[in-house]
Amino acid sequence: MTSVVPPPATAVPARAREVPARRRPRRRGTAARRLLDVLAVLTALAWVFPVYWMINSAFLPTNRLRTPEPSFLPFGGTLSNFRRVLTDPSFYEAFKVSLAVTGLTLAAAILFAFVAALAISRFRFRGRKSFIVTVLVVQMIPAEGLFISQYQMLDTWQLVNSVVGLSIVYVAAVLPFTIWMLRGFVSGVPIELEEAAMMDGLSRTGAFFRITFPLLAPGLVASGVYGFLQAWNEYTLALVVMTDPAERTLPLWLQGLVEANRATDWGVVMAGAALITVPVILFFLFVQRRMSSGLVAGAVKG
Amino acid sequence: MSAPPAPATTAPAPPRPPHPATGSSPATPRRRQRPLRSRLGPYLLLVPALVPLAVGLGYPLVRQFVFSFQEYGLAQQFGRPAEWVGLDNYVTLLSDPYVWGVIARSIAFCLVNAALTMALGIALAVLMTRVGRAARITLQVGMLLAWGTPVLATMTVWQWLFDSQYGVVNWVLAGPLGMEGQRGHSWLIEPLSFYAVATVIVVWMSVPFVVFTVYAGLLQVPEECMEAAQLDGASSWQRLWGLALPMIKPVLFVVALLQVIWDLRVFTQIHVLQRAGAPTRETHLLGTYIYSLSKEFSMAGAMATIMLVITLLLTTAYIRRMLREEES
Amino acid sequence: MKSVRTSGLAAVAVGMLALTACGGGDAAGDDGGGGGGEVRLWLAGSDTPQELRDHLVETFEAQHPDSTLVIEEQDWNGLVPRLQTALTSESQTPDLVEIGNTQSPTFTYAGAFSDISDLYDELGGDDLLQGFVDAGTVDDTLYAVPYYSGARAVFYNKELFAAAGVEVPTTLAEFTEVAQTLQQANPTGAPSFSGFWLPGQDWYNGVAWLNSHGGELAVEEDGEWAGALSTPESQEGLAAVQALFGTATSAPRDADSNEPWIAFNNGEAAMFSAPTWARWSIDLPECNKGVAADDESEAAQALLAEQQACNEEKTGIFALPGMAEGSVAPVFAGGSNIGIPAKSGNQELARDLLRIIFSPEYQTMLAENGLIPGNTEYADALGDDVYAQAALAAAVDAELTPPAEKWADVEGARILEDLFQEIASGTDPATAAAEADELITDTLN
Repeated sequence: MTSVVPPPATAVPARAREVPARRRPRRRGTAARRLLDVLAVLTALAWVFPVYWMINSAFLPTNRLRTPEPSFLPFGGTLSNFRRVLTDPSFYEAFKVSLAVTGLTLAAAILFAFVAALAISRFRFRGRKSFIVTVLVVQMIPAEGLFISQYQMLDTWQLVNSVVGLSIVYVAAVLPFTIWMLRGFVSGVPIELEEAAMMDGLSRTGAFFRITFPLLAPGLVASGVYGFLQAWNEYTLALVVMTDPAERTLPLWLQGLVEANRATDWGVVMAGAALITVPVILFFLFVQRRMSSGLVAGAVKG
Repeated sequence: MSAPPAPATTAPAPPRPPHPATGSSPATPRRRQRPLRSRLGPYLLLVPALVPLAVGLGYPLVRQFVFSFQEYGLAQQFGRPAEWVGLDNYVTLLSDPYVWGVIARSIAFCLVNAALTMALGIALAVLMTRVGRAARITLQVGMLLAWGTPVLATMTVWQWLFDSQYGVVNWVLAGPLGMEGQRGHSWLIEPLSFYAVATVIVVWMSVPFVVFTVYAGLLQVPEECMEAAQLDGASSWQRLWGLALPMIKPVLFVVALLQVIWDLRVFTQIHVLQRAGAPTRETHLLGTYIYSLSKEFSMAGAMATIMLVITLLLTTAYIRRMLREEES
Repeated sequence: MKSVRTSGLAAVAVGMLALTACGGGDAAGDDGGGGGGEVRLWLAGSDTPQELRDHLVETFEAQHPDSTLVIEEQDWNGLVPRLQTALTSESQTPDLVEIGNTQSPTFTYAGAFSDISDLYDELGGDDLLQGFVDAGTVDDTLYAVPYYSGARAVFYNKELFAAAGVEVPTTLAEFTEVAQTLQQANPTGAPSFSGFWLPGQDWYNGVAWLNSHGGELAVEEDGEWAGALSTPESQEGLAAVQALFGTATSAPRDADSNEPWIAFNNGEAAMFSAPTWARWSIDLPECNKGVAADDESEAAQALLAEQQACNEEKTGIFALPGMAEGSVAPVFAGGSNIGIPAKSGNQELARDLLRIIFSPEYQTMLAENGLIPGNTEYADALGDDVYAQAALAAAVDAELTPPAEKWADVEGARILEDLFQEIASGTDPATAAAEADELITDTLN
């Protein structure tokens, strides 16, 4: 169950030959690494402060949120903001819609990008370079004005207020980066590794799946997290595509808590936002374990 | 949906060890003899990606481009015929000195932010490879929280933190740190101070993406290479600069490029801060400026095209070099 | 030509619908030309109380047994992009929509709504809020009618008034004096106390001074709009606002009109100005009963009622006084219009629904819920408590933004926010106004 992520010291201790050579740097590094550990944790704490402030706010009644003396800790706090979100049926409806859209987007984007990345980094063909450059350039064009055309197109196909419709535009939005990302990862795997395996009698497919694919796991995880977050938190397109209150995604639901003409219950908004973030963390913890085990498989094979 | 199995079918006969990355590079006669299925292979692999791209992005982008030569606004959406105006929209925008000011500000903001984000992101990604599992996951989850929390909530919190009257930043500076002059300080009213706050927020939100991606890249560097270098007596610093970072160049390249692209058209953070009380006209960047034009789709379209040109001017040399290096 | 194209599209749409009938979701496609069908009404925000929604559904469905009325609440935030897209789609368009009064001209000029000129007299005629009617009219054709309005009034903390020894002012000049006295007195000793909460970008409230002195934001001449902030009248108004910024408020210059009650609730402002529905947002610490956000028990409701009564007892309200003794200042009115989307396939049903909304019963219900109804004849039903009185007084002379086609672009570019912020920062009003006038004129034409 040891993870194979660097530092290399914890990885594949099987090869006895290397052990003496690696001992020394490791021992020398222990104190330094402690220091780095502390640095990493401190950075994490600093980074997380605004999110901490959000969670802190979620435990406070709204009238304590913006006062001359800020409340740094939710003493005398309340769970009622969370309870109000969790007893709101529209939260669960939006949750289901978001889950469906994100799942669909993620599955399609990763699969399509994966095979496309394979094509452009392992084959030479006419139009290959144009494809690569196009995918890159597409991302340079500001998309603020696109929603009109995207809406009209979905409308023509009766895909407004539909999970599938929204997913199509999300896939299109996520694909360019994902393709580029995975392409970088595929071409980052030295071909020699595959070739060596093929010399050993593996087919090309076999070599690809046994050698290259495990090494792609980190790339898949990184693009997966990216795609997940894009679809999970997207607001503008969802706003125009999902007009039916029953088809709201979570960001729309959250925005709906912000009142225009009366006091917004910010404590509830913050509690809602915190709950929306939970699946993101769960998703990450889930895939990051996959990432390690994928590597183990690769390392064992190597 | 028929595409995924394709890699399996494109595998050439095992006995001959071909160079997989240059599948068609061997002698030309051979190539001509390759079965059609194999020549079509890469194209089939691209189809699943091309369809949503063309439909969801390509067509709207083309339309946006066409709009930019028309007078197309809300009325045209409701059926009034769109009039062709040639380059009028471009002329209007480019002859306005204010627009050039926005462009210059955006480029400066973009370069500063992209550089800061990349530097911090790479440093933290390297740090992740050097620390224990617990510290690493702590850092990862911290990053993920910054990245994954709904923007509505994080932007509201940032607004509260920098609020003039009830902001935590002013409270800390004026109270515990004794800088009485900071009480009620307006962070957003001077453009420079506004951009400083915006930079903090933009960097805070984009660094996690860089960290995750670069860290994933570093993980991909085969253990064997690192171990070999270590055996050769390379210090860990040398291994990083001389081996790991060059090996993940493709990833670094994409990430850096994307940072430039995204920071050039940064919208949400600027928009929210403007609405929090900053002087709007003095703080517009390209993203918010296009948005302010967005009821005139034709103008927004023209501005989008201009932005594309700017981005290309900024990055073409870089892209060229990168592609050349990679393909050689 | 237009109708040919659209009917072609409709045919395609119907064809697609047949193909994708499994799609489910809403039944937007069945645009029954005559009798039955689903009529959809988009209401903006949570301002229309549930009781009124129920009334609409019951009344409408009683009159049209074959039809159903579906009310979909749309957030104010993001309403415009939704209307920009949905109103252009025959299959998705709602059949009746509420729209902010300042957003209204943009859509009426674009041809988004059906002509309802013939309904004008039936819906209330000259009793309708005329400023809102103007916002819904293009070239003498009526496209949208007033739904409700909320005028601004000044809320004040009675204890702080007593502590500073001031009374409710009766002229605009006196108001400034009172605000200055409060600012000087600072009865709570807060480090950043405001006699009158007026953040730098708050032109919604600041514009009342402009109007009171006879100034205007923009004027139309021969079909051309021009910014009018440099006229002597407007300049006087801006100078008066600058005096307030300088001597009567500590509100940040980098803040806008959002949530003006925060400082008031914290005891750091003695007065603020807002639409009268801000009464529900006042939450003084000494009145707070600490009822949990999710508590819906009867005891909790009783406590909340007690809390509200306490807040209202300690808070006073008055309409901003005008230049002359006893007059009321022309404050800025917020509110909304309502219109029938041109693409709706249920025109007749939508018109019937509009008739129900403008029926005496419904208009009275709006008033009873504290909203100034579109038809002023029923405004008496607002009641005679202080809030209703202040609202009514303020509504009499309330002014709207200029009904120019592109006014929404002026707001989108936040030209007036920037102007007032400069005034607050001490820029000479003439300089600031000249700049803003140029931008407004540019934007409107």
